[in-house]
Amino acid sequence: MRGRPTVLITVWPEESAVMRPPRALHPVGLKLGNSLGGADQRELQRRILLDALDLFLAPPAPGKIQERQY
Amino acid sequence: MARKCVPFTPFEGEFKRSVVALVSNAGVHPKGGEPFNTEGDSSIRLLSQEVSGGELMATDAHYDTSDANRDINCIFPIDRLRELAREGTIGGISNKHITAGFNKNLKEVYEVTAPKSADEMERSAADLVLLTAG
Repeated sequence: MRGRPTVLITVWPEESAVMRPPRALHPVGLKLGNSLGGADQRELQRRILLDALDLFLAPPAPGKIQERQY
Repeated sequence: MARKCVPFTPFEGEFKRSVVALVSNAGVHPKGGEPFNTEGDSSIRLLSQEVSGGELMATDAHYDTSDANRDINCIFPIDRLRELAREGTIGGISNKHITAGFNKNLKEVYEVTAPKSADEMERSAADLVLLTAG
């Protein structure tokens, strides 16, 4: 297979949108350096990771950045 | 980079049979290894399947790395991914993960860093790739 399905986790959606990622998650409320949460916030990190993985199964919306509140 | 079309690769598999890789340009590298040049760097680092979060750190002058350097999973969720593999949610974690650093020279990113990373992923066990950017 040529190419791999990707999901981007971004906290800078304006910048990421320029690249038109095939699948992307914007965890709203998180900042650069903490795109999956804070240090030792294992549950939050896991939730964001699982939400990002879910986008592999979501209906295709190439170029659209999905927002989720945390 | 993708002005005309979005390079969408469909996924028709199952998570529990899929191997996942992490690719990040957040300046993540092994502790004690060569850090990225924070002024701009087109190189990549290859991380093995066995690497754990405690072995990694981030060097980047363009975001606050203090949390990441206490727990790299803030930006590079390698330990969380391994937990998902252990519990069977995903099939496994890739034999190869890729990291890069800051680079405002987009031509260099497009012509050097991105193709090098894509070639490495093509030659990896990964079925799915999760991208993080700090």
